[in-house]
Amino acid sequence: MKKSRRTFIASAAATLPLAATAAVAPKSVEDNPAFKTCPRAKGGKNAERFPQTIVQDQHGRKAWFYEELISDKLVLVSFTSVKGEQYYPILSNLVKVQKMLEDRLGKDVFMYTVTTDPHRDTPESLKTLADKYGAKWQFLTGEPESIREILASFNARGSLHALSWIGNEKHGRWLNKPSRLHPLYIAEAVARLSTGKHHKPFLVDMRSV
Amino acid sequence: MPNRRDVLKAGATAVATTPAIFGGAVVPGLAHAQLCRPEGIRSPGTEPDSPPVSVYTQALYIPPAMAEVDPGDLSPPPDPNRHQRYEDFPPQKHYVQHITEGFWNYHDDYTAMNPNGGSPAWMFNGATPGETMVARYGEPVFVRRYNDLPLAENAQIPFGYPATTLHLHNAHTASESDGYPMDFAMPGEFWDHHYAMMLARNDPREALGSLWYHDHMIDFTATNVYAGLSAMAIFYDDLDTGDENDLNPDALRLPGNLQHGGDDAGNANGYDIPLILHDVRFTQEGHPTYNVFDTDGHLGDVITVNRKVTPFLNVEARKYRFRIYDGGPSRLYELMLSDKSSFHVIATDGNLLEHPVVATSIVIGPANRHDVIIDFSNYSAGQTVNLENVMEQINGQGPSGRRLEGADVMPVMQFRVKQPSGPDYSRVPDFLRELPPINLDEVVAEREWVFDHDMGLWTVNGEFMDPTVVSAAPRQGTAEIWTFRNAGSSWAHPVHVHFEEFQVLEWNGKPPTGVLRSRKDVAVLGPNDTAKVFYRFDDFHGSYVIHCHNNVHEDNAMMLRWDIVPRGGNDHDDDRGRGRGR
Repeated sequence: MKKSRRTFIASAAATLPLAATAAVAPKSVEDNPAFKTCPRAKGGKNAERFPQTIVQDQHGRKAWFYEELISDKLVLVSFTSVKGEQYYPILSNLVKVQKMLEDRLGKDVFMYTVTTDPHRDTPESLKTLADKYGAKWQFLTGEPESIREILASFNARGSLHALSWIGNEKHGRWLNKPSRLHPLYIAEAVARLSTGKHHKPFLVDMRSV
Repeated sequence: MPNRRDVLKAGATAVATTPAIFGGAVVPGLAHAQLCRPEGIRSPGTEPDSPPVSVYTQALYIPPAMAEVDPGDLSPPPDPNRHQRYEDFPPQKHYVQHITEGFWNYHDDYTAMNPNGGSPAWMFNGATPGETMVARYGEPVFVRRYNDLPLAENAQIPFGYPATTLHLHNAHTASESDGYPMDFAMPGEFWDHHYAMMLARNDPREALGSLWYHDHMIDFTATNVYAGLSAMAIFYDDLDTGDENDLNPDALRLPGNLQHGGDDAGNANGYDIPLILHDVRFTQEGHPTYNVFDTDGHLGDVITVNRKVTPFLNVEARKYRFRIYDGGPSRLYELMLSDKSSFHVIATDGNLLEHPVVATSIVIGPANRHDVIIDFSNYSAGQTVNLENVMEQINGQGPSGRRLEGADVMPVMQFRVKQPSGPDYSRVPDFLRELPPINLDEVVAEREWVFDHDMGLWTVNGEFMDPTVVSAAPRQGTAEIWTFRNAGSSWAHPVHVHFEEFQVLEWNGKPPTGVLRSRKDVAVLGPNDTAKVFYRFDDFHGSYVIHCHNNVHEDNAMMLRWDIVPRGGNDHDDDRGRGRGR
């Protein structure tokens, strides 16, 4: 697989006011030193919102983040790090979600944890972390700049990020849930966004009448 | 003092040369790499601009009033057992709405870009906003809403989720008809709404006038409303009768002739006109676009009024009542007329003030409403005056604190003045509606609700939406003091509580004045603001929510469930023991 390169049209907030009358012709990002044209993912519904980067899981396997792990899949993406788990643990909750999704995991539902600390977290340290909790899904690290771009695409800014994203790129719809929300509601979000035979509007019908 | 242009210029220079925003001095090469983001530094301001289109060329769409249906045609018939107090308030008016996906003409230019004869939209009975629910206190209403949207995998709208639950904001509605976020209908299902049209505590001082109905689907409110699922409601009562020629001496005779809707040429049927603002961003194909990954909030770069991009309205040289709604999802506005002329503010969040307030601008946040009376008799036929937004907002968190000037002012809509068709007997009375008394002796509890942001989460009291957790359980027939506090120093949170209106006791420690001295249901908290308000809880029970009405924050779980428990009961009682019937 080759890196794809596209020229993206964007206007700079810093230089263009947000007025409808000022909706001037979009400028190429290359005209503006504040912007760099990134290699972009291709293929899925939200491809243009993700960078074209390579990640590595706790078993040392490398993959294109979007195209191989996200683009046509139903995914649950969470964020933590070896260090972060000491301060705001989320994995003990997510393994309960894993349990609820057991039959589907790795088949039509894919869970990923992206490290927020790519400078420190190696595949080996992430494997130790995953094994400690019995987490069978993929823990992703990589070049710090690549991981930084992935974090930015989910608007994850800090070293602790407590939101998980659930998305189905078959129809392109995403939602997020707090990573420590009751696991039932995380699993329910996966069921709601599923298509086909696995689709369920809810796992527990909480409708009032 | 630097004007906005200078500030921006300085900001642009800073970004281009010294990316201090990333934590200080870094060498240019590294800075360059850090700035490599999908679409550059992705923020609402760096999403691609909407294709430029002409302003003030589209006729304002004014939704007609809902059309009654014969209740005998409802199949299955309404099930009284699904509703609290159905027998106390038997419906007198029945309506049916079908929620569908279709194509909407936001602007002729966007429609021309689109091969489908319009931009994709989710609509009520084929339009957005849906028909206006025009109702009177004392005349209960029944609305059956069918979710006829396609399944998620077949929908043209690329964001949102096609399950719907409709909240009539902020009617005094039983929980099961209130659009509770978990009470959703999937495609192929319907949901019945019973609106008792009762005054809270049977007190005429508790009447609301300007309401709206919008989707409240768990996790997808911002996107579903943005897709088109919002519309207005107007309640009339014995004081605010909607008839400017009312012979009843008690009637206020505010501008209005009980006519709703308009024609395709920008002419209204009446003088009482709802205007709902949504800021939208369009793709190069003329589709509304939305960045779901920006959890700060969504900003559009063009303003739509009643889902028409910067429209115009022909107005007679006389008084009009406009009900102005901020439909969200995230933008706050400061609205003023282009000639800076003043107008009367008569209501906030649907509640008439005691006295009209003369103003030259109004500030509204998501879900706020202001009723204003503009007198166009000061203009001569052929003149125009524009409504404009002068509040700068550069991200979804809240206003920047600067005012837009000159060419940066955002156009909202244009009024084109024509000759009046007859005499104007409407009034701006000195006294509108008395506020219900606040009796602090009734207060049985005080609660604080702190709105904050932590580790990417938008939180209330450090918690987030979990429908099994009841965060407060006030008892019917009691009063409480609630304090809303914004713990953030850079963002705004329009706090909304369902079911009851509040009165402000203190805002940042000071008693309310002007428009704040009123009943309200959205408290727009600026950075570090604290609002202390008075509530009473009566008439119905069940589950309701408190949430941030920046709908993007709400969808990021900035919402908590609270329940009203029945008078005299001991425990939380959510089991009404009723059949499902779907």
